[in-house]
Amino acid sequence: MSNSVNISVETTCENQIREIAYDGTELYQPPPTLSESLAKCAARIDFSKTSLEDLKKEEKSAAAAEEDAKDANIFQESLWPWDAVRNKLKDAYTEICVLSDVISIAKDKRYLVLDPLLEDSDDTKPIVQVYTRKKAISQAAQVLLSGAERLRNAHSELRNPNVKDFHIELLRLRQNWRLKKVSNGAIIGDLSYRTAGSKFGMSGTFEVAKAEDVLDEETTTSNANSSGGNTPNTQISTNNGIQPNGSSSLRVIVPAELQGVAYIKVITQKDQEDLCTAQVNLMGHGPNITAQVGVWQKTLEFAQNVLFCKELFAQLAREAIQLQAPIPHVVIGNQIRATLLPNIQLIISLCHSTSFDSNQPAPINDHDHVLEHSLHQLLREVHYKNSHHPFPHPASAPLGPSKKRMIAGPTAADRDSLLEMTKTQTILEQIIAQAQHIFMRKRTQYVLDTLARDVKDPQIVSHWNAMNSPTMSCVKINIVTHGYDAFGRTSLVIHVKERSLKCICRDGRVMRLSYEPQELRDLILCQINSHQISCLVSLARCMAWTVLSNSNHLGIGKVEPLGNASSCLLASPNSDRMIAVQIRCDPQIDVKVYIARSPRQDFFPTPLVPEKFWENLGGNFKEVRFDKIEGKSFLNKMEFLMASLTSNTA
Amino acid sequence: MGVTVLQPYPMPEGKSGAYIIDHLGKRLLSLGATHAGQFLVDCETFISTPQHGTPTRAVHVLHNSECPASTFSIIDNGTGKQVALVADNIFDLLMLKMTNTFTSKKQTKIESRGARFEYGDFVIKLGSVTMMEHFKGVLVEIEYKPCITLSYCWEMIREMLQGFLSINVGKEYPSYFTTQTIMNAMGQQQLHKQNDIYEPMDTIKQYLEQFTNYRKHVQMHSAMGGTVGPVMMNTVVGMGRP
Amino acid sequence: MAISSARESLSHALNNRFLPNLEYLLQGSILDSAVEHLMHRLKGLCDNVDTSPETFHDLEVCMSLRQPNTNQPLMLRVRRALGRDAPFQMRYLGQPEVDQRRPTLVRSCMDCACTNGILDFLTEMGFRLEFEYIAKGYMFRKGRMKITVSKLIKIVPGKQDMANEPISQSYIVELSVVAPTGQENVGEEMRVFAEQLKPLVQLEKIDYKRLGNIP
Repeated sequence: MSNSVNISVETTCENQIREIAYDGTELYQPPPTLSESLAKCAARIDFSKTSLEDLKKEEKSAAAAEEDAKDANIFQESLWPWDAVRNKLKDAYTEICVLSDVISIAKDKRYLVLDPLLEDSDDTKPIVQVYTRKKAISQAAQVLLSGAERLRNAHSELRNPNVKDFHIELLRLRQNWRLKKVSNGAIIGDLSYRTAGSKFGMSGTFEVAKAEDVLDEETTTSNANSSGGNTPNTQISTNNGIQPNGSSSLRVIVPAELQGVAYIKVITQKDQEDLCTAQVNLMGHGPNITAQVGVWQKTLEFAQNVLFCKELFAQLAREAIQLQAPIPHVVIGNQIRATLLPNIQLIISLCHSTSFDSNQPAPINDHDHVLEHSLHQLLREVHYKNSHHPFPHPASAPLGPSKKRMIAGPTAADRDSLLEMTKTQTILEQIIAQAQHIFMRKRTQYVLDTLARDVKDPQIVSHWNAMNSPTMSCVKINIVTHGYDAFGRTSLVIHVKERSLKCICRDGRVMRLSYEPQELRDLILCQINSHQISCLVSLARCMAWTVLSNSNHLGIGKVEPLGNASSCLLASPNSDRMIAVQIRCDPQIDVKVYIARSPRQDFFPTPLVPEKFWENLGGNFKEVRFDKIEGKSFLNKMEFLMASLTSNTA
Repeated sequence: MGVTVLQPYPMPEGKSGAYIIDHLGKRLLSLGATHAGQFLVDCETFISTPQHGTPTRAVHVLHNSECPASTFSIIDNGTGKQVALVADNIFDLLMLKMTNTFTSKKQTKIESRGARFEYGDFVIKLGSVTMMEHFKGVLVEIEYKPCITLSYCWEMIREMLQGFLSINVGKEYPSYFTTQTIMNAMGQQQLHKQNDIYEPMDTIKQYLEQFTNYRKHVQMHSAMGGTVGPVMMNTVVGMGRP
Repeated sequence: MAISSARESLSHALNNRFLPNLEYLLQGSILDSAVEHLMHRLKGLCDNVDTSPETFHDLEVCMSLRQPNTNQPLMLRVRRALGRDAPFQMRYLGQPEVDQRRPTLVRSCMDCACTNGILDFLTEMGFRLEFEYIAKGYMFRKGRMKITVSKLIKIVPGKQDMANEPISQSYIVELSVVAPTGQENVGEEMRVFAEQLKPLVQLEKIDYKRLGNIP
């Protein structure tokens, strides 16, 4: 501290108190006259300092010397008795002259160069100086001491394994979660999806604290929860009063409503029997960073999952109430029931448990990853749409309307397309549509598979498109007879939608079927019918038989909109044999084959039909026991039959 | 959006407009068409304040309830050139900013309003035209939705007009679609409108053509009374027919 | 059920205050050398910046119509997005109102998308070209606030695009909201946002009357 501290000391009042009376009145000394005060002032001057010896020290300051000179002028005109004063002043004057010479030399810089010297403290008032130094040193000591105290604290914390990496953990936490420090020093984090576009009202704030600080208060609630085995989060381990064995020094406090585990269970139910279930449980998704970061990561992920599930369920429940469905959706407690198709229900329930026994819920066999993913995705999509709006072009255009709405004015969009723009599908509608589709697809698969199993001849091959949308998939069906592929192949495409099927046949016919599986079954059977007949026709041509007639819709039996029994009439190359085939498909495929020959063998002239040539008319058709004919398939048998009939005539 | 043809319905003597509309509506319903809401096409004309040296310009602002987000406007600069514009509805407010230059002719505000019918791919609109609350006539609008070029579906529309509405329509294309000669930067050009892709603006232009005819009719009547100004005569420019 | 005319529904929208017709505006400018920092700041502050910032490249043409009995000509700005198939935007801007009590400049504003015949249409109506320029830059949004960082490029008449050069060595930064009448909290929201850009760019309400007739 090179600077001295200036302290001004002055009397409190102008005049000195001479006496204080008993009544407290203060009697002042009369103010000194001018001469008196001058004498006093002169007496105060300490000339010892200005003596020649001391002046050596004073030389550096020309200004000070000049002041002295000014003073000297005052004293010159004063009393002669102060001779000593005058002499001293005279000395001072001499000194000044010398000084002025020195300065002029120094200014010239030819003979003398002045360099600044390290300033020596000029202790005019040593007592004050000592006092200020003492004070300053004590302040510095205090700073050092408090620093040392903090270091010592930090050092002792370092020795403690639980808290040694609090700040590192905090850093890691900060890398993955939104944190901020509030005024009272607490650290508050936010695990809500609000920054990702969520508009859910529930707050997702959590508090960050050091592990040991809150040990005591937590023990009160510890008894409620049992330990979660090998994967406890920080909270549980501290809850039980067990020192977290090297797990984490950082603790997150999650609000009570976000604690525990939640998941959304989706069950498709047919008459109380579960068809498929899905569980939305986001835990275990994404890269597992729990290993590198603290166990609080798990706590926060669980809590965030709870929040997400709650938002999803709240949204679904709101939509379920608002939607005007033909069969109203039912919301009871944590469950939403919606009817997909007659007798088939979709049940979405929110399961939230705070006890950690349900951490590993009973495994569900029919876990449907698709529905699980869809629900998850749908809410994320809503979030995304909330935060991602299209930018207008040109830039001056208003912000907000969709791209379609922006061009609606100038392109003169009509009423219908404008109405279309205002429509949006709710999450519930979409998930119902998806569930319906999944159900329809399964049903279609089932019908096709059982048909393919039951009907050996011809073979039914179905190809499912691997790429499909959540509400539409496509299957191509080929009907072929083994060994006779070249004669014909019937193919049709079925679009499986949400509540209906659309079948496109090769001839371009489009049929729309309802969700009833029987309709699809009938259609396929009819297709088999016409396949058999058309193959038979081409086989007959191949074997030089003549096709006399064929019909795909005989109109006998039950009248079906898609077609019913079909038939075919064939004649041998030299027209002496005929084969009639009838195939029915209600309810099973039933083949009947009749043969006739002309001239008939059993023609006997009668009085009514006397002439012989009537025998060429052909006779009664006799049914062939078709199941006894050799051959693997219908066409195979027919080939044998035709071949044998041809060779007979030869 | 398909092709639309606008046809004025000839008014038989001694029949009121309401009777005709009612009659046509009943006929459509009995033939199997379904009633599908209402429609409105209105037209307001703004005339520029006469300034020396410039011809009087007219801005026709039209709305079609079929395109509720759009305002159609056609400017007629008095020398036969027309520029059409489709804009957002806010264009109406912008027009009000120009009231010093373009003033609205309130007495020529005209509209066609009525019922809308659907029959398969056809949309039929029976509009009664009113100007200043006075009935002027009946306009039948017929739209064939699946097609966008008149030449491909004119016969069908014509049959519809004749068969359903018993309006006698000639074989040739309606006057609006017939070949036009226009002057532009490329010189004289022939346009075969019946082969062009139909746009919503074409409907509006047909309406403007008909509305202009109705107005002209009024003016001829009032001209006999001797109260017409020269301004309207300028604006009544035919829609570029040869 | 009678069908209401377009004019009726428009005045209904106006009266019920859901037609956005007021623009709240703050403007500032930043040197080319510092614009990178501003972009970083905006990326941090604005919505959905996971994708790269939206660029734009527009041509603005200002047309004016001298009207009898008024001193001020009617100005309409027509903007077109270059290299994009988007409708033209016609814009009417009212007299700016620089109220000391309000944190932003407020002016009435009408945006109208039109077909591309608009310039021809306006010319026929008697409008004359006042000035034109190209604005090129980046767009951000934060809630209902739109932030544009744009470079103004002057158009050299009769030359190709190559001849166009920037008007200055800086970018103009605009923060704007178009809202219906009676939403006073918009200005405050904007002031808070502008505050966060403070050391980089000073967004202010600029009084055009004092600047003269500069676009």
